[in-house]
Amino acid sequence: MAVKGMNLWSVCCLVLYFVAAVLAGRDFYKILGVSKSASVRDIKKAYRKLALQLHPDRNPDDPTAADKFADLGSAYEVLSDEGKRKQYDAYGEDGLKEGHHGSHSDIFSSFFGDFGFTFGGNRQGQQDRNIPRGNDIVLDLEVTLEEVYSGNFVEVVRNKPVAKEAPGKRKCNCRQEMRTTQLGPGRFQMSQEVVCDECPNIKLVNEERTLEVEIEQGVRDETEYPFIGEGEPHIDGEPGDLRFRIKVMKHPVFERRGDDLYTNVTISLVEALVGFEMDITHLDGHKVHIVRDKITKPGARLWKKGEGLPNFDNNNIRGSLIVSFDVEFPEIQLNDNQKEGVRGILKQASVQKVYNGLQGY
Amino acid sequence: MGLIHALRGFIKSFLVVLLWSKCEGRESEFNYVTCGSLVKLLNTRHNVRLHSHDVKYGSGSGQQSVTGVESADDANSYWRIRGKPNGTCQRGVPIQCGQAIRITHMTTGRNLHTHHFSSPLSNNQEVSAFGENGEGDDLDVWKVQCDGSIWERDEAVRFKHVGTDAFLTVTGEQYGHPIRGQREVHGMGTANHNNYWKAMEGVFIQPSQEPLRHNHEEF
Repeated sequence: MAVKGMNLWSVCCLVLYFVAAVLAGRDFYKILGVSKSASVRDIKKAYRKLALQLHPDRNPDDPTAADKFADLGSAYEVLSDEGKRKQYDAYGEDGLKEGHHGSHSDIFSSFFGDFGFTFGGNRQGQQDRNIPRGNDIVLDLEVTLEEVYSGNFVEVVRNKPVAKEAPGKRKCNCRQEMRTTQLGPGRFQMSQEVVCDECPNIKLVNEERTLEVEIEQGVRDETEYPFIGEGEPHIDGEPGDLRFRIKVMKHPVFERRGDDLYTNVTISLVEALVGFEMDITHLDGHKVHIVRDKITKPGARLWKKGEGLPNFDNNNIRGSLIVSFDVEFPEIQLNDNQKEGVRGILKQASVQKVYNGLQGY
Repeated sequence: MGLIHALRGFIKSFLVVLLWSKCEGRESEFNYVTCGSLVKLLNTRHNVRLHSHDVKYGSGSGQQSVTGVESADDANSYWRIRGKPNGTCQRGVPIQCGQAIRITHMTTGRNLHTHHFSSPLSNNQEVSAFGENGEGDDLDVWKVQCDGSIWERDEAVRFKHVGTDAFLTVTGEQYGHPIRGQREVHGMGTANHNNYWKAMEGVFIQPSQEPLRHNHEEF
């Protein structure tokens, strides 16, 4: 009897606790999967990744999909705004003032473009190929190697003409048709005529919105990020797309080959012979420490695993940093004593091998 | 079960309605033309947009022609604002008044260019699109002339050619077939109300934050 009572009591407590937790508001950090100290960039990155997964069109069998997607949108809206985030951190969701909320589809389309999102991200007009499309726009986006290493977001303001309904009618679907007219008994004439339909009148109005382009870590050169429907409009159909094409710029220190980075270091002859210690500053500011206590030959290469670029498909895998050394000789002339000294220290016999260096002999 | 379906349907149609409703978003506070941005340039006197296409001049240099068009929805009217050759022009940084830039045609990759050839209709200085993949020569460089210190989006500016000192101009002459109705764009030495241009539609890149990671936890 007592046990049953205790169970009932603990159940009641649990129910009360959950009710309180729900009423206290949602945990936006948990919804986005980020830590409390996440940067705006981390939040954008998390939203973009989860929005693709949680969009209701992607989860038609999940009855809670729309709710999850709405939660995600709310979480992004609050945490990406400095003021709202401060309020939320201090007072929870209830502490947020009733401000103007951007629609959730608005937030989604600033990352991916307009016109909905069908399975696989294909255009909705796939079934009906006859819908004419406006022109696509391709914009080369120059990115630095630092951005490829750490990732970044580029905000862009898109000002575009949008087809709007206007009063009146206009001619559309104009085409040439052959008309047969009878001139007299048994005499006909074929002529070409331009025939048009009547459509609602359209005018072009300029609209503006902000888009977020992500420079993903490890992104490869020429990768394209499409924003559906953000291209040029078509009076009789759908707008085209806006595509950002990544162009990775050359870097003064590092050269990229796939996920590996190559760099060169010039050391003095003394350092080459006696050893040295140095730091290489990497793309995000951290230092790569190099210690040599043996002789370093010109052309020697040092492989630093894990110090290359993050792999695009799996950011946890990194390439290597390959450091090639070349040696700078001192600008001095040795006198006879010094020459004897050098011979004595290095104790290297004369070599003087003559060979064809250009053909691998 | 039926209730959940109804709710889903309602939310879906609500989302669709939101998609189609004109969103009264806040005015973008960033009002400058920046390096790397894509723009359409409108000649304010004649209401035509700077345009180019794969049609060559039948006279003069025989290079790709540059015209002014009335339509506002042609992708061939997009030009990319880039720095001068070997110059630094960081992505997203606003263009200064007096800064030397290149104006590259988006679809053909050729640079706005002018030289000592005569334009076909008015015998002024021919303006063409020249180069491959954004690389042409020294005559691709123009200086943005504006009041104030930065090229603002709603400001009418002039483009003065570095090399011939000509202003990018439209005076209204119209072509016939095959580019009927398009206006001639040429270079002229005098600054007047025919050489004002305004940035209209486009993709305006904002400045980015440095991607360097800062570990806040260490503080």
